[in-house]
Amino acid sequence: MTFLAIENVGKRFGHTTALDGVSLGIERGSFVALLGPSGCGKSTLLRIIAGLETPTFGRITVDGEDITRLPPERRRLAMMFQSYALLPHMTALENVRFPLRMQGREGAAEQRRRAMETLALVGLDHLAERLPREMSGGQQQRVALARAIIAEPRVLLLDEPLSNLDARLREDMQIELQALHRRLGLTTLFVTHDQEEALSLADRVVLLNQGRIDRDATADALYDDPGTAFAADFLGAANLVPVTVEATEDGHTAILEDGQRLQLASAPGPGPRQLVLRQEDITLADPSEPGLEATIEARIFLGTRVRYLVRLGDLRLRVLAPRHLQYPPGTPVRLQIDPANCRWSREGP
Amino acid sequence: MVGRFPPSALVLGGLALALILVFMLLPLGVVVAASLTAGQFLTFPPQGLSFRWYGDVLASEAYLSSAWTSLKVATLVTIAATVIGTAAAIGLSRRRLPGRALLAGVFLSPLVLPSIIFGIGLLIVFSIWGNGPSLLALALGHTVLTMPYVVRTVAAVLADADPAIEEAARTMGAGPVDRLRFVVLPQAKGGILAGAFFAFNVSFDEAVIALFLRTPGVETLPMRIYGQLEFSPTPAVAAVSTLMILMTILVVVAIERSLGLRKVAT
Repeated sequence: MTFLAIENVGKRFGHTTALDGVSLGIERGSFVALLGPSGCGKSTLLRIIAGLETPTFGRITVDGEDITRLPPERRRLAMMFQSYALLPHMTALENVRFPLRMQGREGAAEQRRRAMETLALVGLDHLAERLPREMSGGQQQRVALARAIIAEPRVLLLDEPLSNLDARLREDMQIELQALHRRLGLTTLFVTHDQEEALSLADRVVLLNQGRIDRDATADALYDDPGTAFAADFLGAANLVPVTVEATEDGHTAILEDGQRLQLASAPGPGPRQLVLRQEDITLADPSEPGLEATIEARIFLGTRVRYLVRLGDLRLRVLAPRHLQYPPGTPVRLQIDPANCRWSREGP
Repeated sequence: MVGRFPPSALVLGGLALALILVFMLLPLGVVVAASLTAGQFLTFPPQGLSFRWYGDVLASEAYLSSAWTSLKVATLVTIAATVIGTAAAIGLSRRRLPGRALLAGVFLSPLVLPSIIFGIGLLIVFSIWGNGPSLLALALGHTVLTMPYVVRTVAAVLADADPAIEEAARTMGAGPVDRLRFVVLPQAKGGILAGAFFAFNVSFDEAVIALFLRTPGVETLPMRIYGQLEFSPTPAVAAVSTLMILMTILVVVAIERSLGLRKVAT
């Protein structure tokens, strides 16, 4: 059942359209990523949900309650800011206590006890009396996280939760966020421009492009089948090849722009199409083997694997290959593609 | 960076700096030295060394009462200018007000308008609608004059503060009053104290508006010093000026101790 519903929400700043009628239903307890390049509208959407921006049109409901016109202080949602936004003159404990203090339901002693408990949950109870400036960035973020979850918000909003951390801390925080999510079951929505962050953290990834939802799928599904040209390109995982599909005696054939032909297992019907090829589904072979004629442009060492940039006619494709393959730039190669791995873009050519 | 300048530029720069310091400090030094004279006249170099003129000042009913007047006015002005200036600065920098730029201009205009015109205007206004000049009238005039300092210092501090903190407080359930108390006022604190310091100092030694609004009952210390210089310049004038310099230094030291000057200077 939909818990947080975003119904046709749009936002214009003067003549620019930041959000162009976005609709999204989020189930209770799910962990959803809003992914997209800067300027795609993802931060605006998060701020609209938090109440920090007013939508130009549309409606937002939480648990059936319309909150579109409710000021942020009465929405009972929590947001963790990219800059953490800790109160600089208050200790970690007082920062975490702050939401309880604003609610004013318990006495000060009980508020402090709960704040301490929540600090312990993020492993920072030993730093309770520190001021934000006396803590590292990672510690400050944990305080911000504790402060966001203490008042049992209906929805937890996270703005670029991992972007300010170095590689090792990112991994720690990632594990921590997932563990917290499992433990508390908070409905969580986070914004990121980093596709790896989105795919690794979220159950569901909503890809935004120019103020619209481009794709909305599980991380697995999105990676396996980007579905749109934008998704394929933004996720960097797949190649898009414009082709013309022709029906032949033994099924279908795709004709590339440079005239090369590729046998297909199935096709959406004859006509111009966009073929989606994942970078690990293309096999490189020597020119003596069968396959599409192509030339190596560059070889990028990635550790366990190697990424090749390959010139195919006017196109440049990305290919992930095992590291033992050694094709220097300029080498002619053949590209072998299993017809079973061919996918199609949902859009037109 | 300094290492990149040629030696000639460094020498010239050093010379310029020395000249600036001389012109800033020499007049003060002359006043302090003159106050220590044992003679009858305001001269430099002093003749002999004595604290007799300090005794003279501290025993003088006229000096003490005008100092008390100045202190009362400056205290009233500091409170009023700080409250109004802080409110204006917060409104201008944190709220989306219509005509923001115009309002900012209005609040800062006393910094650039000639205070002599303002002084004449105040005199006329109070003569027509009030009972003529009074201590309250002078305090009002000084409040207008000093409020821009508070607006400037508070707005400068708020411009540097992270606006996300107030937004975060909102998402945590803080209404306008709580946000003012827990977020904005703590963020503005350095600017408020700096502005209050300026307001007090400017009011304490302001002489133009005080000249127009002076009455036999309301004579501030600068007016007293000015009158004394005009009619019978004794070294007591230098002594009282030195005391004013000392008081300023004390305030600066107190602020440095409690806050750190760097916060206030920005």
